[in-house]
Amino acid sequence: MLPLIRFDQVSVTIHKKMILSGISFALSPGEKAALCGKSGSGKSSILKTLLGLLPVTSGTVYFQELPLTAASIQSIRSGTAYIGQEPMLGTETVREALLLPFQFKTHRYHRPTEAQLIEVLQRLQLPAGILSQPGSRISGGEKQRIALARGLLLGKKLYLLDEVTSALDAESKAVVLEVFSDPDLTVLSVAHDPEWLERCGVIFELEAGRLTRAAHHENT
Amino acid sequence: MKTLDIELPQMALLYGLCLLPLLLLRLIGLRLSRDIGISILRMSTQLALVGIYLKMLFDLNHPWLNGLWILVMLLVADLSILRRAGLKARDFALATFTAIAFSVVFSTAYLVVLVIQPAHFYDARYIVPLAGMILGNCLQGNVIALERFYSALRKSENEYETFLMLGATRWEAVRPYFREAVKAAINPTIASMATMGLVSLPGMMTGQILGGSEPWLAVKYQIAIMICIFTSTTFASIINLKLSLNIAFNAFDVLKDEVTEKH
Repeated sequence: MLPLIRFDQVSVTIHKKMILSGISFALSPGEKAALCGKSGSGKSSILKTLLGLLPVTSGTVYFQELPLTAASIQSIRSGTAYIGQEPMLGTETVREALLLPFQFKTHRYHRPTEAQLIEVLQRLQLPAGILSQPGSRISGGEKQRIALARGLLLGKKLYLLDEVTSALDAESKAVVLEVFSDPDLTVLSVAHDPEWLERCGVIFELEAGRLTRAAHHENT
Repeated sequence: MKTLDIELPQMALLYGLCLLPLLLLRLIGLRLSRDIGISILRMSTQLALVGIYLKMLFDLNHPWLNGLWILVMLLVADLSILRRAGLKARDFALATFTAIAFSVVFSTAYLVVLVIQPAHFYDARYIVPLAGMILGNCLQGNVIALERFYSALRKSENEYETFLMLGATRWEAVRPYFREAVKAAINPTIASMATMGLVSLPGMMTGQILGGSEPWLAVKYQIAIMICIFTSTTFASIINLKLSLNIAFNAFDVLKDEVTEKH
């Protein structure tokens, strides 16, 4: 099976500072992977590089075997959902936040129905009433789940999750882990949560911008 | 009616008026005499030089010379806009020049050729002061537009990147900041039009009345200049921001670090 993403000897240097060095790995559709390492080891930089937010100094990043270039970046971003540690909702109400991507040309004709909005909220154990609430009034954990719900509504191929369970309580975390364990979803995550790591097929360990170890789980 | 001249002794009397606020400032402990003195000296020298040049310009009234004067004003305004907006002149000078040159030349030409219709379209008595007034206001608007846009983007970099990650094109992702910047750029002109004549008599109108014009004529010229200022500021800020997008972002739509002066 062709890998969904592939890093081939990727290095990133910014202002003469090495951020990533010679990173190579591949992720197949449906696979779950976690990037682990100390703060500043380059975990989040791998996600940002894939999204074109950091400039590749050498090597090549592939998405569905399509090399990451200025011409392909829009389609790569369109096929990926990135959810960060402190997600930005970018709007007034939760409903507007969920519908925000559907204002853009790429998703304009895939606007979800009210029933679909409620269904995705229920999957993440959020009440339907939250739709009309202002984004400023909801908790960090709820905000995190709304960002995840927005990603799910887009029906992306690949989910890039950066410490998304950090603001969640045990119950919410269990729900999120269950949702992203779906065999149809491909997930590349920055995570330290043992419960999530157990569900990942492969764990990449990073140290000072280098990939030092790739541990594969047999049972996933 | 001929405007009364201010003779040299009266000019000296006028400078003498400055001594009163200087004394007052000293009394409250504000030691600004040196700065104020330099400012008054600079103002007087600069205006004297402009007076000499304008006299020459009006006497010769040559189309190329008038055009050259406008070109110099545009170049000075171009660099001034970028310096005050904190952007690198090396990168943005051409974009800003294109935006202000098009907008100012278009508005001035519209006003002079189609509305005022002097015997010669290049008449220095019309195009030089009118282009100068339009450009001066356009300059303020463009400083606000560029400064607001890039500082908002830097401040909201996470939000901007979130828009990109959610599938927005560069234009879709910058649009909220773009709209706010254009609004901020034209707001002073809109507010000024709304209160014109109520709060104060506009400078150009006052000048014309002192110069002997009928109040009605002065009013018509004031309306004309305000409409042209509004048009050129709107055009220039939109064109300038739009052209700058091609310079300030890399091929992956990320705002370059090195576009602002501090980098």
